[in-house]
Amino acid sequence: MKVGLFIPCYVNQLYPKVGIATLELLEKLGVDVDYPTGQTCCGQPLGNSGYESDSKGSCQLFVENFKNYDYIVCPSGSCVYHVKKHFDILEQTEDVVNVRNNIYELSQFIFQVLGKTNVGASFPYKVGIHKSCHGLRGLRLGSCSERMDAHYSIEESLLKEVKGIQLKTLNRVDECCGFGGTFSIFEEAISVKMGKDRIQDHLSSDVEVITGTDQSCLMHLDGLINRNNQPLKVMHIAEILNSTL
Amino acid sequence: MSHAKEAELFNKDEAKVNWHDQALWFVRNKRDKAAHTVKGWEDLRNLASAIKANVLSNLDDYLVQFEENAQKNGIQVHWAGDAEAHNKIVHDILLQNNVKKVVKSKSMLTEECHLNPYLEAHGIEVIDTDLGERIVQLAKEPPSHIVLPAIHKTKEEVDALFQKHLGTVPSHGDPRYLTNEARKHLRDKFLKADAAITGVNFAVAETGGIVVCTNEGNADMGVHLAKVHIACMGIEKIIPEEKHLGVFLRLLARSATGQPITTYSSHFNKPVQGKEMHIVIVDNGRSEQLSREAFRSSLHCIRCGACMNTCPIYRRSGGHSYKATIPGPIGSILSPGMDLKKHSSLPFASTLCGSCSDVCPVKINIHEQLYQWRQIITKNVKQPVVKRSILKMAGIVLANSKLYGFLGRSSRFMLKHLPKSIVNSKINTWGKARDLPKVENDNFEDWYKKRKS
Amino acid sequence: MSRASILNAIKKNKPESVPLPQIDLSLFHEDIDLVDIFYKNLESVGGRIVSLNTIEDLDAEIKKRYPNAKSIVSCSNTSQLATISISNETEPHSLESIDLAIIDAQFGVAENGAVWISENDFIVRALPFIANDLVLILSKNDICLHMHEAYNLISKRERTFGVFLSGPSKTADIEQCLVIGAQGAMSLTVFIF
Repeated sequence: MKVGLFIPCYVNQLYPKVGIATLELLEKLGVDVDYPTGQTCCGQPLGNSGYESDSKGSCQLFVENFKNYDYIVCPSGSCVYHVKKHFDILEQTEDVVNVRNNIYELSQFIFQVLGKTNVGASFPYKVGIHKSCHGLRGLRLGSCSERMDAHYSIEESLLKEVKGIQLKTLNRVDECCGFGGTFSIFEEAISVKMGKDRIQDHLSSDVEVITGTDQSCLMHLDGLINRNNQPLKVMHIAEILNSTL
Repeated sequence: MSHAKEAELFNKDEAKVNWHDQALWFVRNKRDKAAHTVKGWEDLRNLASAIKANVLSNLDDYLVQFEENAQKNGIQVHWAGDAEAHNKIVHDILLQNNVKKVVKSKSMLTEECHLNPYLEAHGIEVIDTDLGERIVQLAKEPPSHIVLPAIHKTKEEVDALFQKHLGTVPSHGDPRYLTNEARKHLRDKFLKADAAITGVNFAVAETGGIVVCTNEGNADMGVHLAKVHIACMGIEKIIPEEKHLGVFLRLLARSATGQPITTYSSHFNKPVQGKEMHIVIVDNGRSEQLSREAFRSSLHCIRCGACMNTCPIYRRSGGHSYKATIPGPIGSILSPGMDLKKHSSLPFASTLCGSCSDVCPVKINIHEQLYQWRQIITKNVKQPVVKRSILKMAGIVLANSKLYGFLGRSSRFMLKHLPKSIVNSKINTWGKARDLPKVENDNFEDWYKKRKS
Repeated sequence: MSRASILNAIKKNKPESVPLPQIDLSLFHEDIDLVDIFYKNLESVGGRIVSLNTIEDLDAEIKKRYPNAKSIVSCSNTSQLATISISNETEPHSLESIDLAIIDAQFGVAENGAVWISENDFIVRALPFIANDLVLILSKNDICLHMHEAYNLISKRERTFGVFLSGPSKTADIEQCLVIGAQGAMSLTVFIF
């Protein structure tokens, strides 16, 4: 099994530690991982902003970079969802279809493909999960509060097995944080208010560390927390699952 | 003014935003509890969606069948292509019956057609009889929500409004007192009205009958007292058979307010001897929306308002920020079909979080339609130069590994070395309220290459 | 745009025919105590319930609950409390001062506490809405599980006017505060026997 690691553009540039934790974690789990250099972006920022047709080049490049892997793993549910959902703008060649079928968000890959919940991590902190929307309602990484399905959550299943961790329950279990890509700029007032409200929920729920599967949401929350000097840390789920504290 | 600007204004008063958010979240919570009590809720949603899909694919036949059956029962059926035709038909019926005073129960269609100002300009008194609608009517405002028209008003504001218009005494916003005063005021209007106008929740092709749902009993009070009943409906309100009401009535009120059913679900099939009943069937852009494959299912909507209650943007920007008859997520996919330019900011008033689609009782893929409208709007409505050029440029950069590598490195360099005061300054919208991430020495790719070698 | 042009536009723009789904009732079936669930739901929507040991107690129990009711219309043969009689000639405006209306309910719906009544049961359409208080009489044996069963029960009726009534009139339009007694009946009591 050959796995291609997709590190989203902003994670590559701004959060290399998340990429490192993802790679190390997969290697620890015995996965043969390769990072194809020259990768850029899945095209999501363009698509979500209404410029999908300008993103064809980057989507095509994405397929070129990843077509030869059995699986593609990415520490961002949002990017994975974009490939699965919106790569229909490309001609559906075998390569395109394979890439769309074989791409997984990191925790989803560990849970569904590797069939593991305990990854041998330890992390003695009180943790609140931010369930990013594209992972939750796009990839269905868990049941969402709107639907009357039986409860499940891939993130919770993995995090519950982490030694020493205390998972905290929020008042609003899966409300959006307000990042939303370019929404965070063009609807700045609401974006900031939504982020502040999410953070307050974590604070009121006695959380020390906010985690999630999407660094973009976490970047938004982290930016607010740092600006307002709030007693919270933000870590990607890969960093917790790779932790041996 | 764009949604973003309106939302920014609304957010100047954070306490009010919190109040508004919590009031609607309370309703969303009640909806969750109500839905949880129903065995097979998701099956019901699937059924409702499939029935509506069937309706749209046979809509012309069902409308004709409905008309025939309604006429057999002595109901007069009228057809209106647009808002103007609708208003004229209603006015003509009122003229023929020498009507001076009209009571009206909730109908988003008549809001959409701006019926009230039309009739008022022709010297007819129109009283909205749903309490929330009466409140906004007295305040000379449009409803800010399709089920809770006055959700943006505090009880103190209602108190002041009633003192001014209904002569009530100050009550510190006592809802019981104010509701009772409204009851007396509206009783008088019901007793004196010559005609009653209602909306239509469902029109049954099989029987030619209509169902109107209210909690206050205002539609029935109006209709059963007045000598003329005019019911106005969009073409998409049709359902094939009466038994399908079982599906929709189980979903509607639970989704809307968390009630197991509305207090009154009134089935009108035949006018009382000596009275008139009219139904006005209105297109007003709906048949055009039907032609748009990606947006067709927006016509499934049963106007429950659940997408508004759940929408984190709606809750924090208020219904008026949408500047559309139907605000919130569903409005943001319906309104661009009516006037693309005017409503071009609405599909962007979303993080595409998808909560609206999962809460929707008829499973409209609202957030996916928002995405699709965005693609159309950037091609057809002039976009801000900065946004357009940055995103077009990004398309070029992201399709080119080398260019991307170079630009990534240089922007990281700038982020790292420019003083914080510039990085977080006003020109950088991100930085108004948020810090930018601290930049490390290497990006991931640099680290990976070093590690490999 | 006339009738013809609306219909033509629809014909031109509608998608390929999609089949009408069947309602599979087994998805919604539950073995529950119908009377118990009906009680709970009716209470949750602001209605009151009086359980009669025998139908003969009806009038005494109504009097106990509505001691001040003076103008009473009864459309039920089981109650003799009427002080005013009505017919289908009755002018609805004249019912404005009715204190209490007593009506036989055809059946109740467990899932939502609603009862079905139709024009024949109350003679003047305005009555159940304009009366200040409302009494409904319902047999324990006439409670169905859900709305699918309810529509089956009324499928053969003469269609004039009918209503599912779930509790007294209410509103929450002022700051989401629930107030019982909006434009319709101020209270609703179901007497079950």
